[in-house]
Order: sequence, then C-alpha cells, then structure tokens
Amino acid sequence: MKKPIVFTSEREMPPMAVSLADMGHNRTGSWRYLRPVYREKIAPCKNACPVGNDIPRILSLVSEGRYEDAWRLFRETSPLPGVCGRVCYHPCESFCNRKNFDEALSIASLERFVADACFDLEDRIPERPKRSEKIAIVGSGPAGLTCAYFLAKDGYAVTVFEAASQPGGMLRLGIPPYRLPREVLDREIELIARWGVEFRTNTKIGQDISIEKLWEQHDAVFIATGAHRGRALNIPGEELAIQGLEFLKAVNVGKTIALGKQVLIIGGGNTAMDCARTALRLGAQPVVVYRRTRDEMPAIAEEIEEAEHEGVQFEFLAAPVALRRLNGKLEVQCIRMQLGEPDASGRRRPVPIPGSDFIMRADAVLKAVGEEPELSFLSEHVETSEGIVIERAHGILERAGIFIGGDAQTGPSTVAQAMRSGKETAQAIKSFLRGERKPKPKKLEEALRVNFSYFVHQPRVPMPHMPVAERITNFSETKRAISSERARAEAQRCFSCGVCNSCDNCWVFCPDAAITRIDGTYEVNYDFCKGCGVCAEECPRNVISLVEEEL
Amino acid sequence: MKNFTLPSEELMGSGHLGCQGCGGALAMRYALKAAGDNTIVVIPACCWTIIAGPFPYTSLKVPVLHTAFETAAVAASGVRAALDIQGNTETTVLAWAGDGGTFDIGLQSLSGAAERNENIIYICYDNEAYMNTGIQRSGATPYLAWTTTTPEKTPKAEPKKDIMAIMIAHRIPYAATATIAHPDDFIRKVQKAKSIYGTKFLHVLAPCPPGWKAPSEWAVKLSRLAVQTRVFPLYEVEDGERYILNEPKEDRALPVSEYLKLQGRFSHLTEKDIQAIQDLIDKRWQRLMRQVRESS
Repeated sequence: MKKPIVFTSEREMPPMAVSLADMGHNRTGSWRYLRPVYREKIAPCKNACPVGNDIPRILSLVSEGRYEDAWRLFRETSPLPGVCGRVCYHPCESFCNRKNFDEALSIASLERFVADACFDLEDRIPERPKRSEKIAIVGSGPAGLTCAYFLAKDGYAVTVFEAASQPGGMLRLGIPPYRLPREVLDREIELIARWGVEFRTNTKIGQDISIEKLWEQHDAVFIATGAHRGRALNIPGEELAIQGLEFLKAVNVGKTIALGKQVLIIGGGNTAMDCARTALRLGAQPVVVYRRTRDEMPAIAEEIEEAEHEGVQFEFLAAPVALRRLNGKLEVQCIRMQLGEPDASGRRRPVPIPGSDFIMRADAVLKAVGEEPELSFLSEHVETSEGIVIERAHGILERAGIFIGGDAQTGPSTVAQAMRSGKETAQAIKSFLRGERKPKPKKLEEALRVNFSYFVHQPRVPMPHMPVAERITNFSETKRAISSERARAEAQRCFSCGVCNSCDNCWVFCPDAAITRIDGTYEVNYDFCKGCGVCAEECPRNVISLVEEEL
Repeated sequence: MKNFTLPSEELMGSGHLGCQGCGGALAMRYALKAAGDNTIVVIPACCWTIIAGPFPYTSLKVPVLHTAFETAAVAASGVRAALDIQGNTETTVLAWAGDGGTFDIGLQSLSGAAERNENIIYICYDNEAYMNTGIQRSGATPYLAWTTTTPEKTPKAEPKKDIMAIMIAHRIPYAATATIAHPDDFIRKVQKAKSIYGTKFLHVLAPCPPGWKAPSEWAVKLSRLAVQTRVFPLYEVEDGERYILNEPKEDRALPVSEYLKLQGRFSHLTEKDIQAIQDLIDKRWQRLMRQVRESS
C-alpha cells in the first residue's frame, strides 16, 4: 500500500501540522524475523497415554459438566474407560505439567468418574458398510478386546476366541474384583459386542481349535493370548508352592480356596500384590518375600502402598532356597540377600550372603515371580525365546496375516500397554488387508511450556477410599467414586496444555494490535506483526510457536 | 476462559513505529480502550512522538496534540480550558508523557497543573530512560542501572526519583500505579480516573526491550516480575491520603534478582549491588505498607 497522502507543493499542505491519514500504509510486518503461528501441540498426558486418550479435551468437557460428551470422546480412543479409570497405572499423571506447579491432575479418578456417570449409555452405532474380510482374535484380554473394537467399528467381521467361560482375559482372571468390579468389565465388554463382535468362549487354541484352522478360515489372525504361565522358582520342594496366578484365577472365578493363616508370597510384582491382598481378604496374614528392597519392586507403586496400608507384611532382601513339609506346616528355607551392582534392568542385583540362611514357616506358599506367554500352539512354526516370539519371526508371521500382541508378545506388562498393542494391531491388520504399508507414527510436538502466571494453586482432589477395616473383609471395590462437584473442580485444574481455549491473552498483549479475534479463534495480521513474541510468551498453554521467517 | 475483560474497541491502530515488544505501545492501547473515543491526547517529546507516526499520519484514532517537552501538563490544561469554554465537559483530556517529560523536563508544569487541580488525566509511561534519543539516564532510571550516559563502570549512582510521592504531596484526588502485565487493573484505574474531577496521575511501568537489553517477548513478563518482586507495587492513593494496595498480595515477594537477572542493563551487578537494591525495595515496601495501614 502506497502512502495515501503526498504533498507536491507547500500550498497543498494544511496551515498547521495536522494528521490527515492513519499509519495503515506502514506495513511493519517487514520488520519481523520470527513469525508467531497458532500450532496446537500434544499435551504430555495425552502423549504418555498408551491408547492416546485426548485428555485435555475430555477434561475440558468434564469441567463444563458435559459428562456424556466426555465419555464419547473417551470411546473414540479406548473401549475400556471404566476399566482404565480403575486399573491403569496412569502414566498421564506422571507427565502432567501441573506437577511442576502444585500437583498433577487426578486423571485416573476423572476417567473412572466419567465412565461411572455414563454407565448406562450406549455407543451410537452408525450405519456402515460391512466388509467381507473375517478376522479371528485369540484371547479376550485388553489387547484382544481393544483390537476387536477398532476392527468392528470399521465394519470388519470379528470373532474373538476365549479359552475361559467368559471374556475378559487377565481383566477377569488376574485382576481381583476389589480393584475392578465385574459389572464394570461386563458392561464394557457388552458394549464391544454391540458393534458386532462375536465372542466364542470355552474355546482354547491348540486344544479346541488349531492355529492352522483359524488361519485357513480367516483373512487375518490376532494372537493375544496373554502371559499365563507362571515362572518357576527352580528350588527343591517347589511343587509345594501354589502358582500365584492360578490362585488368583481360582478365587476370581468364585472357587473357595483354603490357604490357612500364614501365607507367604514369593515375588514383588503386581501378581504378588494381588495375591497378598486377596489372601488378606480370605482371612490370611500374608507376608511378601522379596529378594530386593521396596525401591526395586516392579509392582505399581500405588498397589504396594495399598497392600502396606491394608496390613500386608514384607520380608525384603530374602529369597527362598528350599521348601519342605514339616508337621503339617510348610518350612521355607530362605537366604538373606544384599544389593550388588545394577543388572540389565537397571535395578541393583540381589547377591546372597553366605551362611545367612533362616527359616520361615507357613500354611501356604504362593509363588509370583513372573509370567511368560504360552505359545506352544505356535512353536512348531516359529522360534521363541523364554516363551516370547523372537523379533525376526514376527515379520514372517505378519506377512502371512498372523499378528501377535499384548502380553503374548512382550511378556507381562500393563493393561494400557496391552490395549495400545491391540489398537496398533487393528491398524496393522487394516493395512495388511488393504495391501498398504503400516502407517508410520506421526511425531508430534509436545506442549511443555506452561506460563504458570495465569494459574492459581489448587490442591488435587483426594481419592476417597473405603476404610481398611471394612475393605479386608470382602472383595468390594476399595476406591470410592468422587462426587460430581469434585470431578468438575478437579477437571478445572487442567492447564489444557497445547490446546487453545480462547483465553484472549494473545489478543490482549499484542503491542501492535495485530491480532484479531474471530469466534473464539485468533488470526495474526502478518502485514503488521513485528514478531516481538509477546503473544507466544504470554500464551498460558504453549499454543503459539515462533518460527523463523524465510528470507 | 478469559483471563482479562478488555473493551474490544481498538483506538490504537497497527503500523505504528514502536519497537518490537514496546511496553509504551501496549500501555497506549489499554489507556485508549479505557478512555474511549471521546478523548484528546496531548503528547510532549517522548517515544510516542515518534511512535504515533510522522506528519501527516497518525496511528491513533483520537485527536493528538504534539507539544514541547516540558509542556504536557500545561498544554493539556489549555485544551481542557478550551473545551470547558465551549461547554464540553465530556471529552477526556489525556496528557501522555514519558519519564523524561514527567520526572525531569516537564516536572514544573506538571506540578503547576496539579496545584491548580486541572481536570486532566496525566499518564506517565515510564521506560526508565530517554529511550528514543539513545538510552540516556533520566530521573526515573533505577539505582545502579546501565544507560549510555551511566556506563557499566559508573552505573547510575542515584535511586529512582519517587514521582508518586511528589504527586501525592500535591494532594491530587487520584494517583495510581499500573503496568502492562495487569491490563484489567490498568483499565479500571483509567476508568476510575475518568470518573473523578481534578488532576489524576497514573504512573505506568512500560518496559523497553532495547533499552533494558532484554528480549522483546519478555516485555509483559518483566512488568509482572516488577510487581511480584515489589520493585513496582500496584497501588492507588485518593486525595493524597487514602492508600489502597492492589498487587502483590502475597506475603512473600520474589527476590529482586529474579527481575534484575533478565535484563542486560543490570548484568554488571555484583551480589552486593543486588543486596543494596533489595534493601532499597524492602524499605520502600515497608513504608508503603505503613501508609496503607495508617489510611485504613
């Protein structure tokens, strides 16, 4: 734009210096070497979520009391919000930016709250083209269920084969009901079935149906059989100990198990914690025997705390070396350990102290030193190592349309990781059936810069628990739901990192009035923006990026 | 969720000549939003003489009278008198001067106007030196700061002049401090000034990124830190007597080093220097607290 007024002679000028036009011709945008751009970023919580739940948007809906919309948004990325709100190890909370300000958001309790508040809701199932391809999923744990859900949503015909009499896998057999009430699990499986997923229970692969047959009858097969084979202690008298997972399975399907009063649990993982707390509820006085210290325990920290809280005892730096039966009791010969150099897992290796043997007595011993996948139905076709299919064999299997995921692929991991695997496999199967390459995961920029000046300290909502005395007499859920008011207040604590919520700060602080508001969004007028960067600095949630101007 | 509730009317246009991150430009934008379009602005020599644009252009959508360095308050008094004689009591007359034109060169005419209780709003946007002529020290330059006339080896040896105390001593009906980091507070104060008859004085801290040797994106952050460290507390004084504290409300302040360390003009300071500045700030804060307590 040219200067609007040009005087060609003195006579054209006004008698005194008076401004006759504005400065709009002066395009100060040419001064700029940094360009502010609205670029929403992924919140660290969402980036850490194995299934990619859109946590900032969900919490924003919760803060407005829009629970149904929040629930539907959960179901875009996960078929199991009620389950995850209870049993997920919530890595989202460990990455929450708010932890550097006061305390992380209580995301798990909000997920549970939303799932509970929307317990009776149904998915809206749209009319969609049915696809002809048939997919078999072996195993109905979190990996199998998640894979089935995403394939069925896309119109594929999915059949899930389950060895047990009811679907759910480890969610039903491994996780005790005091952590995951069965009506929650039943409801979410029911909703998956509504999408047309067929469940064939009491059908064990390698026994009731062979992998070859499944492969012939389907266009793709997903093996998500989990990791169910308990590892051995490899000590004399081992047969006197009960496999922890088998004990949990028996209790979880309603069998009566008499353990006696004194129960020793060998191991420090999640199975060990579940065994101890279950034994406690059956009237025993459980003692967890672990060869390292509390700091090295692989169990989720919260589970350890709960176990301690409920009165489970711990014997650290002790390992069993032999089991004997003596006068109707079990005698466990243990040796004292000390911590040595770190091993491959990064934890300090336990080293036995010679001559430090001691005896512990018990009515029952549960061993929970890890599980591994049981893939004998496959083993004549592929190489395995410690029960896990080796990496090279995966490629060969996948080219044939056989996919392995969840704990069956990795060994025991978490519910959320299994779900991630199920979700990724659903995508891989779609690509396989369409003859496409697997899509490469997109690298997203994380929102890590929060301007704390725009937030006020607000403590995290406490999670209500049932009193311990009441808890240990039964299997009802230990954690209680938070109230609607508390849920909204907690959700309002969310910084909404990387997501613009129309706070106006960029518009407010522009020294050049070069930002316009348009229906809750903003536009930079690059004709005038000088690139000072104040908008990016004052954006509370890292939505604006400054990028270098190209010459 | 809005953090601020600013009037949407935009009376400062784009294309002005303020530097990147100009605190003075942002201050003008807020002041005019609060004062409204029925305002005449009187600008003596200062950055804004340049920022507004050269003859025959202007970046403000209200009338501007450019006037000589020492005459902001008296020229504004004249404009007021001319309006009054026309029976126009609605139009706001806003004198808009920098720290040089207020603390130093325009002080006598400002004192005169205040003594006569002229019905004007006088806003001093303080960037703590003569910035557009090349960063020379002014009476508003803080203790031990670098400027081109107070180089690092001999930084400014005198503390900043207490302009608020001078104005309060005139017992004008309203005096207040404001910053660009607190736009709602700023706008409320201008609106309050508009509703009061007589001389109203606003002292606005307006960071100058080039003169303070700080990145332009920190203009607002520096203002905020100035308040949080009590370098520049936000307060109001009615009738030269009643003190009202606005910010910071916290009992504990951030150490002044948090504010100083972001600015190149303070990069030569030693630990001892910083402590000396801290002592000065603590002393002034205690005096302000006493004044607030005594007037409540």
